[in-house]
Amino acid sequence: MSIVIIGAGHAGLTLAREIRVNCKATPITIISRDAIRGYYKPNLSKALSMEKTPDQLVMKSAETIAQDLDVKLLSHVTVIDIDAEHKELRGLFNNTEESSVMTISYHSLVLATGASPIRIPIERDATTELLSINNLEDYEVFRERIQQKKKILIIGAGFVGCELASDLASNGYDVDIVDLCEWPLQRAMPEVMGTEIKKAMAEQGVTWHLGKSLTSVKTDQESGKTAYLSDGTSIHTDAIVSAVGLVPNTRLASNAGVRVQRGIEVDALSQTSQTDVYALGDCVEYKGVTLPFIMPATHAAKALAKTLTGTDTELTLPALPVAVKISACPTVVCPPLNKKGIWQVQGAGMNLEAHFINEEGVMSGFSLTGQCITKKNQLAAECLPALPAGISEIIVHNCTKRAG
Amino acid sequence: MSFKKYCCVTCDLIYDEEAGWPDEGFAPGTKWEDIPEDWTCPECSASKSDFYLIA
Repeated sequence: MSIVIIGAGHAGLTLAREIRVNCKATPITIISRDAIRGYYKPNLSKALSMEKTPDQLVMKSAETIAQDLDVKLLSHVTVIDIDAEHKELRGLFNNTEESSVMTISYHSLVLATGASPIRIPIERDATTELLSINNLEDYEVFRERIQQKKKILIIGAGFVGCELASDLASNGYDVDIVDLCEWPLQRAMPEVMGTEIKKAMAEQGVTWHLGKSLTSVKTDQESGKTAYLSDGTSIHTDAIVSAVGLVPNTRLASNAGVRVQRGIEVDALSQTSQTDVYALGDCVEYKGVTLPFIMPATHAAKALAKTLTGTDTELTLPALPVAVKISACPTVVCPPLNKKGIWQVQGAGMNLEAHFINEEGVMSGFSLTGQCITKKNQLAAECLPALPAGISEIIVHNCTKRAG
Repeated sequence: MSFKKYCCVTCDLIYDEEAGWPDEGFAPGTKWEDIPEDWTCPECSASKSDFYLIA
């Protein structure tokens, strides 16, 4: 009974750890196209305030992970293809010195391939970098680029954009944020609350350009980078970071005959449409919904670890509020998964509590700012769960499975 | 009375017995042993058993 996990991010590593809680013997192999390092991804958008360099964000080296979890780690191995029928995959090992192709067989395969930053087309010359921060390697590049610099332009006023802006602004940078939305975190909170965040961050040195998009960037030897917005505004900047969301990495899965929509389709047991192929984390969708946060992945990893070690365990998720690290305005969000409904807000000034009431009159999401964030756990208990129990009219049972 | 600190293996969040965790309903001085076994890390949902003793 061997388990192969593709991906060494939070989902993959948490799964390995949880499997070891239940079973010491099962051989586990983790494959990663990058170097394997244990770090906490949400820290990437707050590392300046934590006074940590990229290296210091690494909590566990590959050696420690391999030893602690008794797992085989294959770093710098890119999976080329998966043969779900014969239960084997091919990986290409590639570093600066050598490259070789290996075949690895499995009993159970777990796709924890994560998601990649969405890139919106922006007119610029080839030397003008559009940075994005989705892993530690990206973050190392980002920190190099902002050294000795002053002005940073962020595209995207969502979670990552706001956290990054806060981290930069509280560490002496001038930050501009561009987004087509009307207020920050628009999908997770009502306008009145977003306006408070906007105000608080503006006082800290963040300049908002909302309802606009970035159309082009010109780089000049002398004056540096100038960004042009859809309304004709121009912004001088030293570096541009794109934080407009993620798209699940599904290519490997779809090439292996696994059913994919926006993300890899899984049932309540995290199984895909192929027998003994499971998926987990940012690359999956549950009932058409992707849940791109740390906590759902942790819950899914715990349930899948039990399933893989002999106790079928359906994934259920309570409402999982997330703290958004905005130093000027403490914020907690628990976005509704279904957008049909209305916001109800109470409180004053920065201290606001917003409930999202769905069409059935039930609270299906909420957001809190200022002193109201202490109500996080109370509201989470009252809120509709993200993934309730008993959703087993499952994809996998409806489609033809291949004989194992 | 000596207080201990425990650190989350995933996200490095620290539980300090002396400070407790009022937002989680644990008054200052709440001993690690008195925290329910099914409690999970408020930052990342790791299990209580995924915290390790640091001091």
